[in-house]
Amino acid sequence: MPAWLAIAISRIRGLLLARRLDDDFDCEVEAHLAMLTEENVRRGMPLDEARRAASIRFGGPVQIKEQQRTDRNLPFIETTMQDIRYGLRALRKHPAYSAVAIATLAIGIGAGTAVFSVAGAVLLRPLPYAEPDRLVRIFETNPLKNWTRNIASPANYADWQSQNKVFTDVAAYEQFNSNGSGANDVFLTGQGEPQGLKSLGVTGNLFRTLGTAPLLGRTFTDEETFEGKARVAILSNGIWQSVFAGDPGIVGRTVALSGRTYDVVGVMPRDFFFPGRDVQIWLPVAYQPSIFTRSRRPHWLGVVGRLRPGVSIQQAQAEMDTIARGLERQYPDTNTQMGVRLETLHGSLAFEPRPALLMLSGAVGVLFLIVCANLANLQLGRASVRTRELTIRRALGAGRRRLARQLLTESLVISVSGGVLGFGLAVLARAALVRLAASTIPLFAEVRLDRSVVLFDVALSLIAPVVFGVIPALRSSRPEGLNERSDAVSRDARFLRGALVAAEVALSVVLVVGAVLLVRSLMRLQAVDPGFDQEHVVTFKLTLPTARYPGNVERLRAWLEIDRRLREVPGVQAAGAASTLALRGFTWTGDSTVEGRAENDYERELRHKSVTPDYFKAMGIPLIAGRNVDDRDGIDQPAVTVVNQALAQQYFRGADPIGKRITFGRPQDRAPWITIVGVVADEKQDGLDKVVQPQVYSSVRQQMQNPLTFALRSNLDEASVVAAARREVQAVDRDLALTSVTTMKAVVDESMGDHRFRTALLSVFAGVALFLAALGIYGVLAYFVSQRSRELGIRLALGAKPKALFQMVVTQGMRPVAVGATVGLLGAVALTTLMQSLLFGVGAIDPATYAVATVTLTAISLAACAIPALRATRVDPLVALRDE
Amino acid sequence: MGEAKSDILQGTLDLMVLQTLDAMGPLHGYGIARRIEQISEDVLQLNQGTIYASLLRLQQRRWISASWGTSDNNRKAKFYAITRAGRKQLAAEAQNWERISGVIVRLLRLAER
Repeated sequence: MPAWLAIAISRIRGLLLARRLDDDFDCEVEAHLAMLTEENVRRGMPLDEARRAASIRFGGPVQIKEQQRTDRNLPFIETTMQDIRYGLRALRKHPAYSAVAIATLAIGIGAGTAVFSVAGAVLLRPLPYAEPDRLVRIFETNPLKNWTRNIASPANYADWQSQNKVFTDVAAYEQFNSNGSGANDVFLTGQGEPQGLKSLGVTGNLFRTLGTAPLLGRTFTDEETFEGKARVAILSNGIWQSVFAGDPGIVGRTVALSGRTYDVVGVMPRDFFFPGRDVQIWLPVAYQPSIFTRSRRPHWLGVVGRLRPGVSIQQAQAEMDTIARGLERQYPDTNTQMGVRLETLHGSLAFEPRPALLMLSGAVGVLFLIVCANLANLQLGRASVRTRELTIRRALGAGRRRLARQLLTESLVISVSGGVLGFGLAVLARAALVRLAASTIPLFAEVRLDRSVVLFDVALSLIAPVVFGVIPALRSSRPEGLNERSDAVSRDARFLRGALVAAEVALSVVLVVGAVLLVRSLMRLQAVDPGFDQEHVVTFKLTLPTARYPGNVERLRAWLEIDRRLREVPGVQAAGAASTLALRGFTWTGDSTVEGRAENDYERELRHKSVTPDYFKAMGIPLIAGRNVDDRDGIDQPAVTVVNQALAQQYFRGADPIGKRITFGRPQDRAPWITIVGVVADEKQDGLDKVVQPQVYSSVRQQMQNPLTFALRSNLDEASVVAAARREVQAVDRDLALTSVTTMKAVVDESMGDHRFRTALLSVFAGVALFLAALGIYGVLAYFVSQRSRELGIRLALGAKPKALFQMVVTQGMRPVAVGATVGLLGAVALTTLMQSLLFGVGAIDPATYAVATVTLTAISLAACAIPALRATRVDPLVALRDE
Repeated sequence: MGEAKSDILQGTLDLMVLQTLDAMGPLHGYGIARRIEQISEDVLQLNQGTIYASLLRLQQRRWISASWGTSDNNRKAKFYAITRAGRKQLAAEAQNWERISGVIVRLLRLAER
């Protein structure tokens, strides 16, 4: 065994067995002293003298023991423990300082950890698939239709799949609505009350492409994609547990879903989801094979591919570009300018929340720096108070490194305490964050306080003292310390503290400007007219199961009966339904031709909704001109439609659209003519911040849709309206269940959820930042006044006006503020332009915002300066002089 | 980051302790200290306590071992004994010491001329 290893082992043993070895050595020393004493007694000394002589001859038993202890241990750990003990003692002795320091750090570290728990869950945590980095989303693009990330048509998907050599597999899933993950409502019967479940239609190869092994049973096979083979189902772990009580024999059992039976073939593991956590059951798409060859115009498939090993996403993109160009040549009718866009699957899932989360991560980083600057400032202030103590320590032989180390250890003690407290804050913040962050946390992410979050908290606690503790530690341990009198402060210490305050102010200004921009955006957003009256409207969704309502005749009969019954509910002023609710995106879009246009002049991406007559009345959407679609517009009557104002303006360019005719197709499609009978106000479709797109409303009699979302306007409370509605619906069909039950007010609220989330969070950060900056300004200035109380006293005694002294102190305090604010405003210009995409109705360089930020900052800084400045004017000259 | 000490003095004491234990067999701290004082004919007046720093160093390197026993006058005391590794070290150190002291003696003689 090499000597160093033997020494190390022995020393570690020494550290672990310190108490026992100490006792051991005490005995040994006692024995030695006794023998020496005996020898002295034998030489004729009296006993007590013999003892004293023995002690002298031995050479100071206490020092020897101390030396032994040091040599036995690992000196590094021993000293560190000593410093930690000392640090804790120092903290206890200055509770106010410690409380401020620890609380500040807890806020900085807690905020950082909380934001990380969200941002990490969305942006960093790997997806629960095999080699998730190799999975990509494949979108259609088309500049003619303003598509940048569109879902694909089945025939294009099939051609991508068969022609490429870059993917091991390309799979697809249904995405019928622009809103949400594409899940449909299905109803599980035969398990007590009919139970609404979210299902997703997928191709047979989807699970193989994702590469996650099932927990039980198997996943789908390729043939199960097609009608006739497709009565199979895979359960999520969640419903396997909740509905089927974790039955281990579930595979092979059949379940009844919306009137059809399916064989359960597999159960997925707990962490698995696709594409969102809301999906509870996966079913094959059940298409006829011809869908994949003929259906090239409608687009409804989300497409996922797995890259072959060694193929980069760029190479895949190049190959897919070539395939898309081939399809464009082959099918000019449908594929003109139709391109392909690849994104990593994770990137596409996190596409929407990403900018806000990056902004918040940046903001919390800035807050962390402010916290560190504030602590550095506190420590510098305390170090100058501690000069006397440190000088004595140096005089007693503490080396410079030793002193610096002690101060850093003290910082670490503060920081770790702050980290522990901060983690507590993050735990508390989690629930609030999850509630606030409705749409910023996408359906796939689950915010957990897992190991990575704990590690992040620990990392911040360890980084913090390096950031805030090093400069003060190095400064305080400087040799000049020996010459410093306790009340004399070097010029550069003051400069350093001023610089720190300026930095805090600059960073705070950036946060304040960002927060004000978001607040103004939110105010603009709240002022937006959604195009309907959101008060007193209850809504819910109904899905007619295909098994019992196979054709339009049965469906229409059910819809009309339900609609009629709901209109007659006492206390309900109006009731109607639409295929897609306001603010819930769109279900389908298509080409459209206005009568009298040239052969190649047609409109794209016209949005379609089917409604019952009283939908507009129930929603409070004003009729601008003409009439509603109503009971007259039956299937055997001339086709009519109502359009929104956006359509009237864009398609008719100022002309009156009433009585004009359009088709739902391109000129060459020779689609039937449809007469426009009315114009309604624009209801918001994709969000309050989005421009309304042209839209037609057809009668559900002429343009059948399923599911429908009903809206009921009533002054009664929500619960009784829902109860009455449920009664009426189940009077028509006992097995129908209401889903997505909510109010329009909640829908509007929810659509602003992510705006509100980031605004609230950034405002809190900015508020804390301002408070800390004010604390910094106050601290430096208060110290300045206390240092110069003698000078101030003399000035007052010599007749200086208090007002002049007040001004002098305030000027002194505001100098770093002015510097910091200038730098901060310039920095804000650079940084806030990055958040342009998060703003609504205000530019990033918004003069009013900058004015508000500057005024707020100035007011708070002046308040922070005023207290020490007032104290300066009240210095008692006698007391100040006696102080010396 | 321990304080620097005179390595030569430390080494000398260590060598003397090893040699003593090699020659005398197991001894307690007091015995070792007394023996070194006798041999040096009281030229070396050391604080007997410093012997323990040396004993710890030698133990840490596993050149000596320690165990509790009873002294001649029936007192409980810790006895130190040289190990095999300690003998090897002693041989090497002794050789080294002789070589260096030879050089120093010659050097000093040269300087006298």
